[in-house]
Order: sequence, then structure tokens, then C-alpha cells
Amino acid sequence: MRARKDHRMTSVMARLRCLCAAPFVVATLVIVLAAVLADSCMARADMPPPLPGFIHDGTLRVCTNPTLPPMTFINGTDMKAVDGIDMDIAHALAAYWHVTLDVTTMDFTGLFPSLAAGHCGLVASGLVRLPQRERNFDAVAYQDTALVIVARAGTQSLGSMADLSGRKVAVQAGTSYSTRLTQENAALVAAGHAPMIIAQYPTEEQVVQQVLIGRAFALASQDVELAYRREQLHGRLGVIFTPPYPEYRNFALYIRKDTPDRALLEHAIATLRDNGQMAAIAQKWAITPEATQAPGAHAPAPAFRWGTFFGALTSAAFLRGAFITLAVAVVSHLTAIVISIPMALVLNGRDSMLRAGIKAYVALFRGAPTLLQLLFIWNALPQFLPFFREAWFTPFLATWLALSINESAYQVEINRAALSAIDPGQAVAGHALGLSRGQVYRHVIFPQALRIALPPTINAFISLLKTTSLASVISVQELLAVTQIQVARTFEFTEYYAAALVYYLAMVFFFLLVQKRVERRFAWAGHDTAGAHAA
Amino acid sequence: MQPDPGAVLSIRNLSRLYKGFVALDRISLDVRRGEKVVVLGPSGAGKSTLIRCLNRIEPHDRGSLHINGQPITARTDLIRLHALVGLVFQNYNLFPHLSVLDNCTLAPRMVRKMPRAQAEALAMRLLQQVNIAGQARKYPIQLSGGQQQRVAIARALCMQPEIMLFDEPTAALDPEAVSGVATIMNDLAAQGITMLCVTHEMRFARHIADRIVFMDQGRIMEITPSEQFFTNPQTKRAREFLNQMIG
Repeated sequence: MRARKDHRMTSVMARLRCLCAAPFVVATLVIVLAAVLADSCMARADMPPPLPGFIHDGTLRVCTNPTLPPMTFINGTDMKAVDGIDMDIAHALAAYWHVTLDVTTMDFTGLFPSLAAGHCGLVASGLVRLPQRERNFDAVAYQDTALVIVARAGTQSLGSMADLSGRKVAVQAGTSYSTRLTQENAALVAAGHAPMIIAQYPTEEQVVQQVLIGRAFALASQDVELAYRREQLHGRLGVIFTPPYPEYRNFALYIRKDTPDRALLEHAIATLRDNGQMAAIAQKWAITPEATQAPGAHAPAPAFRWGTFFGALTSAAFLRGAFITLAVAVVSHLTAIVISIPMALVLNGRDSMLRAGIKAYVALFRGAPTLLQLLFIWNALPQFLPFFREAWFTPFLATWLALSINESAYQVEINRAALSAIDPGQAVAGHALGLSRGQVYRHVIFPQALRIALPPTINAFISLLKTTSLASVISVQELLAVTQIQVARTFEFTEYYAAALVYYLAMVFFFLLVQKRVERRFAWAGHDTAGAHAA
Repeated sequence: MQPDPGAVLSIRNLSRLYKGFVALDRISLDVRRGEKVVVLGPSGAGKSTLIRCLNRIEPHDRGSLHINGQPITARTDLIRLHALVGLVFQNYNLFPHLSVLDNCTLAPRMVRKMPRAQAEALAMRLLQQVNIAGQARKYPIQLSGGQQQRVAIARALCMQPEIMLFDEPTAALDPEAVSGVATIMNDLAAQGITMLCVTHEMRFARHIADRIVFMDQGRIMEITPSEQFFTNPQTKRAREFLNQMIG
């Protein structure tokens, strides 16, 4: 239902892609030709139709942001089971081409960059067909829709968009609604009215929540979603206006720009429409015009649902999310510690090129926002290095890489400080006893530095544990991503947020306990024993 | 001047230069096996620098150094040298994260590849010798200064060195602890270990030393048998020094 902002490619990238596209076009032509020849020679009736170029190794890779029922969403607690109209169509397309379907879920803002980077061949995520998007990608329409203005039940219908003057309207960030509403504002101001106040929120369910709790007057949305949400919303929202916008009329599938591929996809959709599959899907999800009408009674907001809360707490989805959060944090921090120890030793040593290089590394990765580093590694890196475009480079690996590098820049400072805190006499004494350099570090310096480094390291780890939530942007199904997807499905904010909080707190307290236990082993530091001289 | 082949330690024209100043100025000294030499002198005379050069914790810049007839240079295997020459520091430098026993066994196990049981037996024997075997399981922070210094001596002895160097071993200790450490060093002296000791303890020096090396401003002013040094020093500078120390 969202009209999404287009992601422009730079001219350099476009040129690169032209260079790369040539062999693909040739390959596609060869495949098409071969298929046609095979077809005519063997004259087999059930021969699969020619494959478009975005299908590799017999797999149709689809990217989606499953927070948009009924187009694409998680219809239950199994985080891997993406459901909805878009997924039904994706399955139908895969069956049509006789290939396997691979669905990758990710944050909304990651969809177009992932498509451009070649992580997926097709984006099916309730995206509206928009001319500005078609400048960079090819779109094939598959479902009619309309933009609607939605407010709390009982709100009077609007006569025109001008009635929204001075009101606060919530939209999802990254969508093209804000651009469209800004145009509307220009018209309002020109006519001497106050403009609308446009508030952007990162996810659709948060947009809805702003209207439900009365922080925003209305929201801009797509009719099919509202129809589907009626049950969850308990009749608390209704359409107050349908602006006569000529755009926002179709949902479309997006692929990388390629004319033959586009023709093949259009043909496939037309085939599904002709054989009745599209109609069957639309019926299954009950997209009918009546469904979008404002319902009657205003139902009161229910109190905290303990059942939902405990259900979430004990669900496999949350447990798995928490495990992924923990796994990402632990492997990233361990890697960071391993890289940062030699870096700290060099930093504490004499001036050298290497030392200057490490200083620059620390400055760069401490300076840049972690989210930016994550997006860079996942979306920008594959454009320079095709190596990272391949299937082995999973979102988990990208997160591991990004967070390890980021964390090592902090950890190196912790290590450096801990190493500097060791009396230089310790190393001298070690050498005077005949220990080698390595033995002095291993048996004398490191065990003492560990005690000093431990509390700030655990601190950094706890911080990292929470930073992992950023990985939801590149489709890692960690705890917060699971929470948001569940909230998008049910609109039960409080219960799922509370369940996530319990998991985060439990993990943090566990590591604080570990810290306490480890510190107790440092009896030699003598917090309790100092002064207990056996004289 | 050739190194004395009979000397366990033979120093010839040894110099150590810091930026813009000479810490050791052409030092020459021979020490025979089993001999006890005490280095005296005012602060800044270069006593500690000399001791550290002998263990090559600081490299010397000129001159030569022979231990057991072997020249000690930048190419010398320092690990073997360090196993040959034990060093006891003014501020002990015990390893705070290891127990007394582990402080003593670390180097024998790592450097001499001694099995743990054998290293511990050796350590216990030497801890007994310095009268601190009862504290073997404690950590350094649980011990007094005097006890820590005795552990440091035992730790150095565990490497069974040919020569023991002491760098002001009693300077950080209260008078009672000084006498404890002094007793230990007397015992060691009686066992015939070659010792070179920097100290400010005159009584101790007089009692223990075969010879006194008196240094000032990076130079050896005189090398005199102990008794003679304290009753009739050769140089005016030494006489002034002694008057100050006693007066």
C-alpha cells in the first residue's frame, strides 16, 4: 500500500551496469533462442516458458518487507513463512517458470538497494507503480489499488484535501507519500491555507499507532491494507477521503532495468490473469471495494493482553530472534577482540606507517554511524566488488563483518588503555627471568591487562548486543525485527514490546552476572584481601 | 686490556650513553666466581645502569662484557643470558596475578621446560631458604614488602643463575624488613653464589662484601677490599661520601 521513494543510481553505477548488462542480454537471448528451438524441434506441449535473466541457477530470488498485510506479511509466529498476495504471486510465478522460489525478508529501505546490488532478482513488497521509480527499475503492474486518507472511527469525512489544512498527517518514512503531500501543501499555501504537518515514521504499524493514540489526525495509506486490517483494528479506523490522484493506482513488481526481462514478466502476469490465478488470489485475501468502507462502532482500546505477552515470550520466533541477536553480538565481539589486540600493541609501540594506518582506521570506524557502515557493507560494497554479490554473502555475514570492524575500533582503545596501565617493570622482570617476548605477553602482560579491560569490555558488549537491532535493516531476523513484524501483524504494540524488553534485559543481566563471576576470580587484585598480611 | 679468563664476569671500558650525557664512562671490572661485590656511590652515579647493563636489560654502547668467557653483544641469545644472570629489583616487580609459588615456577617451566612438579619442588626448597614457604599459595598483594622481596629473591634463584644482581634490594623496605633480606643475602653469600649488589646499607655492605666498587658520575672511582674501604678509603670523594652516610 505504500508508495515508495525511488532510489536513484549514480551515473557511474548506471554505466557499470550497462557494461555488465551486455553479456547478460546475450546470455538471455541465447537462452530464449535455445528454448524456442527446443520447443519447435521437440514440439512438447508442457515445455516451460523462457526464463527471464533475473532468474539464476533455477531460483527466483524475491525480496520483500513483510510488514504490509495483505500484500506481504508474516501470518503467524513462524518468521520464515511470509504470506500474502505478493507471496502467492511469487509462488505462482515460480511455478509458471518451473523454478524454485527463494524469499528474503528485509527492512523496507533495503529493498531497492538490494535489487540494485543483485541480492535479489525481483522485489514484491506491495510497492506502488510510480514513474520516478521506473526511471531506475522496470515495473510490472499486477493489482489495482487506491490511496486513501484514514482517521479514527467517527471522524467526519472530508470534502477535499484542503480540509486537512493545519492537521497532522502520519506517513511511513521512505515512501513517496510525503512527497505527494508536500505538493498538496504547496497548493494549500498558495490558496492561503495553513499546510498539513507531515510526520514520518519508520514502519507502517507505527504510523497507524500515531492515529490510534491521537497523536496524528490522519494517515495516508492504501485501501487494500485497510481492508485487511479491519479485524485487527477492531473498527477503530475508517477512510475519510480518497484523493483523486492518477498515480497510486497499481501495485507493481520491480526488476532491474531490462526490456526482454520486463516483457517476459508482463507475459507471465498476463498468463496468471488469463488462467484465473490472479482472481483466485484476490478472492482468497478478500480485496473487495466494500471492505474499505468505514465501519461503524468505536471499540475501546483493550487493556494489556497477558496471553499475547506470554505467548510472545515463549514463542519459537522470539527465542530464535533472541538467539540471533546473541549470536551476532558474540561472534562480532569475539572477532573484534581478536583483531583489536594486535592493533592495540602497534598503537602502544613506536611511530610507524602501520601505526598511522591503525589510527586512521580507529578514527574512521568510530566516527561513522554504525547503521551507515552496515548499509555500506551490504548495499554499496557489492557494487564495487561483485564477489560480495554472490549467495554466500548472507545478511548475517554482512552484519558480522560490519559490527566486528565497528566494534574493533572501540575495543582497540579499551585494550590500549589496559596495556598501558601495566607497570613497565612487569615486562622488565619477565625478560630478566629469561622469558621471551611472546611468553611475557602471554603469561605476564595479558592476564593483568584482562582484569583492567574486562569491565569496559562487558560494557561495550552490552552496548553491541543492543546495536544488533540495526541488522533488521538488512533483513537479519534478530529480536527487534521479529518484534516489529509481529506488531505489524497484530497491532498489539505493548505486549510484543514488553516481551522484547524482557528478552533484552534477561540477556544483559546474564552478562552482568558473568562479569561479577569473572571479577571474583581476580582475587589477586586484592579488593578483599589487601592488608591481610600474614606477618 | 684482555678479558680475564678466570673471571665469571669481565667488564672492559663499558660505556652507556644517554642523549647528551654519559651514564657509564669506561667501566672496567672483573668479578671472580663466588665473589661478593657491593657497588656504592651517591645517587646518579650510574650504579643501577651498570647492573642493568650486565643483564642487558639496557644495552651498552661501547666496550665489552664477558660472562663465563663468552662475549655479550647484541647477537647474544638474551634468553640464555637472562637464565644465567638473576636480577632482583628495588620494587620487587612480582607478578601480581600469580601466586608466590607460580611466580617462582613460571620461568623454570617456560624457559627451562621443567615439569611442573619438579619446578614446584625446586621453588619450595628456595622459598624455604628465604623463610617464606608458608606463604607459597598467597598472592603478592597479601604479603608485606619484606616478604615480597624475599619472594623476588627466591624467584630469581629458581633459574639457578651463575650470578645474582641486586639493584638496591632494601631501598623500599622498613628497617626490620631490611635485616630480614640482609640475612637472606648473607646466607646466599655463604653458599658461594657470585653476587653484585647496589645498596645504600653501609653495615650490610661492610658485612657482606669482599670488595667495594665506589662510583661517582658514571665512573669507578676506586675498587677496594671491603674492610679497607670503610676504614681507609683511597679517594677523597669516597671519604666525603662515607662521612655523609655515617654523619
